[in-house]
Amino acid sequence: MKILDCPLNGPRNISEFACGGEAIEMAHPDTVSDAAWADYVFGAGTARGVVREWWFHVPTAYWFIAERDTGTDEVLRTYPASELFGPGGEAGEGA
Amino acid sequence: MPDPDRYTRRSFVYRQLAARGARFRRLAGAAVASDFGRPEDERRALERLGLCDLSPLPRVGFKGPAALDWLRGRRVGGLARDNWADAQTSGALAARLAPTEALILGSLTGREVLCARLEAALDATPRPGCYKAMRRDGNFHFLLGGAHAADAMATLCAVDLRARAFPAGSVAQTSVARMSMIVIGVALGEVPAFHLLGDSASAAYAWGVLVDAMAEFEGIPVGFDAVRHAAGARPG
Repeated sequence: MKILDCPLNGPRNISEFACGGEAIEMAHPDTVSDAAWADYVFGAGTARGVVREWWFHVPTAYWFIAERDTGTDEVLRTYPASELFGPGGEAGEGA
Repeated sequence: MPDPDRYTRRSFVYRQLAARGARFRRLAGAAVASDFGRPEDERRALERLGLCDLSPLPRVGFKGPAALDWLRGRRVGGLARDNWADAQTSGALAARLAPTEALILGSLTGREVLCARLEAALDATPRPGCYKAMRRDGNFHFLLGGAHAADAMATLCAVDLRARAFPAGSVAQTSVARMSMIVIGVALGEVPAFHLLGDSASAAYAWGVLVDAMAEFEGIPVGFDAVRHAAGARPG
């Protein structure tokens, strides 16, 4: 069993989690082209390397971010989504 | 003896309890299984391994970005770190589940007033960013206690719940028997125990699984009186 380190709950079996896909900025549905919107909704990156992903701890309904190497499937870091999307975060307000 | 069918508030598993010969009595406005006809045996069993249904007793949750501050303002102690529970002077237990969520379990005396006081206060004066979670309706509440409680849980749960890894006060929100549960470690006097809370819609399943898991260690369902006796024996 793989172990994933939840920022709120600590190490837990991977069976307690669900992956929510890559954490990418949502295209604005009012201004984006149809092709770009379709790519956002249906497309998935397949590049080898480190990606940021949404992960969900099911027992606590807690979403967080994991940085995972798609080549080795190694999770390098997990942290609260607020670190990325909150005030001062890379993708948050004031970024 | 009160008939649970006559109460609007009764346990989610009252039929299973009745089938085992539970004797009910009124407590906190609900029908509670006080024993199964063998109170002395149940007290002794709880030292080894026993499962008690506490579902009818008061409990409430509070969620939202202002929830913890609101609770602190109402003299609820602890709440200093996630996944940790602190006993209150009233005998209630306050568990911080996240930076935005807490759970209050009523005292095992059954005369708990903290939950009702907090609920009434928020109803009377709503606080933006603090919302009530109806844990008494949404969650079952069982207590698994005894020297073999951690052994029985090890057959159902991947988290190490042995005392050295999971001392009293610890909280684990995890998967137990493939369903999500909140597990809170406590000590009833000398008896180690776990509060177990999960989705009330799965209460009958969880009760059956836990009774089955106890069989290996000769555990039995026990009434509320056995739990209260153990809790009352706490030194000091």
